[in-house]
Amino acid sequence: MHAWTWVLQRISAVILIIALGLHIGFLHFSNTGEPLNYGEVVARLKTPVLIVFDILLLTFGLYHALYGLYSVFLDFDSGKKERVIVLGLFVVVGLGIVGFGIFGLLYTARSL
Amino acid sequence: MSKPLQVKVFRFNPESDVAPRFDDFEVPVFDNMAVLDVVIYIQNYLDRSLSFRFSCRIGMCGSCAMYVNGRARLACRTQVSSLKTRDITIMPLPNFPIIRDLVVDMEPFFDKWKKIKPYYIPKREIDAPVTVQPESNEREFIDDMLDCISCGCCYSACSMVATNKDYLGPAALNRAYTLIADKRDAIRVERLKAVDRSYGVWRCHTQFNCAEVCPKNIVPTRSIQRLKRRCVLKKFGIFK
Repeated sequence: MHAWTWVLQRISAVILIIALGLHIGFLHFSNTGEPLNYGEVVARLKTPVLIVFDILLLTFGLYHALYGLYSVFLDFDSGKKERVIVLGLFVVVGLGIVGFGIFGLLYTARSL
Repeated sequence: MSKPLQVKVFRFNPESDVAPRFDDFEVPVFDNMAVLDVVIYIQNYLDRSLSFRFSCRIGMCGSCAMYVNGRARLACRTQVSSLKTRDITIMPLPNFPIIRDLVVDMEPFFDKWKKIKPYYIPKREIDAPVTVQPESNEREFIDDMLDCISCGCCYSACSMVATNKDYLGPAALNRAYTLIADKRDAIRVERLKAVDRSYGVWRCHTQFNCAEVCPKNIVPTRSIQRLKRRCVLKKFGIFK
């Protein structure tokens, strides 16, 4: 299991570097001018490609962060029971936040 | 005559002392003086009860490793002049139980060596020595890693060892790598399984503390990263 999760964290790191750059680029350079145009923001939030992009960014960002935190937890002596509890907690929190984020993005796109 | 050294030495006898303390000594300097000469002088002329361990005096045996001015070093290979100060603080290696004063118990360290079976086991079908081509990069890399004298400096500098008593540590993992990378070894896969554990290679966070202090300039972090790569290859069924 460690081999897979370790590789996935490396992959997520590379994806994050690229995706964060693109995310910041979209937010700051896709607008036609200042102040922000409401219509442009709505159009961006309704663009399917950007919604998928944001979902991937959220998923990989959370995985990277939570795996990092779990690794820090493992660095300290802990029993198997504690490790299972913390891993379960991180999985639930991670899935919860990803689920909430996806719901928020889709709900916003539909209701605007 | 140059000014004497002001030496602080960690003292602790777990059998009789309630708490550790530092004793101060004034030690005269002579040319080419090593830290080992400092503690020998103290024992010979100032306090005969000072305990420390040494043997070869030439950086081969690894027994005189101490924590000198905030860094794990071999006392015999550390020139006093290289410390660039007259104030020297000498302590036992961190991350080891203290037996007395500067002498630490190496048993936890070697227990972890035993877990990776640190000896070469030849394949039965090989009768004659196998030729290793001089241009083989892998072979050269192993040669670098074979210089380990098991002094424990890397183990004492590792912050993962400091927080987790089960972590195998840089020296044992480096040794495992030298055997796993040797295609003549019969139990490479078994060895890899022994290090492919949460408290094997996966606890290393590539901080390079081990490489920083190694008196033989070995980079155990590199060995550990290569082990991680092999663990991943094993999952894909590529490592055999």
